[in-house]
Amino acid sequence: MPKSEERMIDKDGVRIDGRKYNELRQTKIEVGILSNADGSAYIEQGKNKILSAVYGPHEVHPKHLALPNRSRLRCRYHMAPFSVEERKSPAPSRREQELSKVIREALEPSIFLEYYPRTSIDLFIEILQANGGTRCAGITVASLALADAGIPMRDLTTACAAGKVEGQLVLDLTDNEDKKGEADVPVAYMPNLDAITLLQMDGQLTLEEFEKTINLSLEGCKQLYELQKEALKVKYVAVKEEVEE
Amino acid sequence: MAKILSKRQSGQFVVPGNRLGVIEEFTPGQGTYVERGEIYAEITGHTLLDMQNKTVSVYPLVRVVRVPKVGSIVTGQVSKLQNKTAIIRIFKIGEEQLSGVFSGLLYISDVSASYVDSIYDACKPGDIIRAKVISEKNRIYHLSTADKGLGVLYAFCSHCGHMLKQKRYKIFCPECGRFEKRRVAVDFKETVS
Repeated sequence: MPKSEERMIDKDGVRIDGRKYNELRQTKIEVGILSNADGSAYIEQGKNKILSAVYGPHEVHPKHLALPNRSRLRCRYHMAPFSVEERKSPAPSRREQELSKVIREALEPSIFLEYYPRTSIDLFIEILQANGGTRCAGITVASLALADAGIPMRDLTTACAAGKVEGQLVLDLTDNEDKKGEADVPVAYMPNLDAITLLQMDGQLTLEEFEKTINLSLEGCKQLYELQKEALKVKYVAVKEEVEE
Repeated sequence: MAKILSKRQSGQFVVPGNRLGVIEEFTPGQGTYVERGEIYAEITGHTLLDMQNKTVSVYPLVRVVRVPKVGSIVTGQVSKLQNKTAIIRIFKIGEEQLSGVFSGLLYISDVSASYVDSIYDACKPGDIIRAKVISEKNRIYHLSTADKGLGVLYAFCSHCGHMLKQKRYKIFCPECGRFEKRRVAVDFKETVS
């Protein structure tokens, strides 16, 4: 842990982990790594490690939750007890419940829920290791798990945060930067439809800064989108070639 | 996306949201959707351009999502019998295994074209049955076994639980010799293959 007088960004604009202001953390994405789920994906973004699984569409239990005109998307964002420095109680906290809702609402517009009335699609996001920006990485990976499950979607959803640290606007904040920084703006984005599905802000920004921050997040989202596409391609194009051989 | 437009060939890898063209040039097919006059992919797969019929579709590389629909042939296990209905847990649609189950309802009048005295003469709990979805009304899948090829595939003795065998038009338990009544399918199976 850096001491409080230590700077988060040095005079050349390089951050503590050696990134520039507009650089994402080192990101690795894998699709289809769980055999028991209908669809799954895994992401490593810096020190974040997140697993996501999708089941469904299947019958809703309890039955009264079934919606007559569309499928019900149920989302569970959960942090493992060992995901943070001090053990976290495995019971869902207020924060996790809210994030589950927020992630669900960020993904709902991308899915053709109306194709499968009276069913449910269950989505699980398990944070194995957290280091800031897990809601965004969670959305990115959950969207891939949905694509892997073959659920029809309007677009892939990708999410990335940007914020203000020591007066500078930076992309993809780590836990440390988020805590020491002045503001944090997570954005979820559908790149082909050019639509924002999640926008939150924590902290204070001027109007100009806010606009710049969103644009910075969108840049990050577009970079992540390329990685998402690549991950799907690696899984499915490689599998097909194996079959042909 | 401009790349996809200029290349115009089948077999391109697409992910949900990739633009495939406009509705003026193609009829949208399977695995695509239309928004603001443009065609996009909705699943991961390879593009299929049919230049003769001017259609574009996406051949899926991912699992195809299946839910029971009116007309589909389903296979399930009889979970319980009520007065005049059987509740069936559907685990197969056509030849495709489902990852979960859907429940369906078989009413006594839909068991067979002829009159059936009691639902207990048609099936018993635990039997594996093939049926057709005839309606989705009231949020329930209503099933029918009245057609040819539909009915009980595997049956178990209600006395000892042994698998039942078929002898001419009757089915009996080789363990305890009981004869039972079922609405059997033409391809009733005596052993698990």
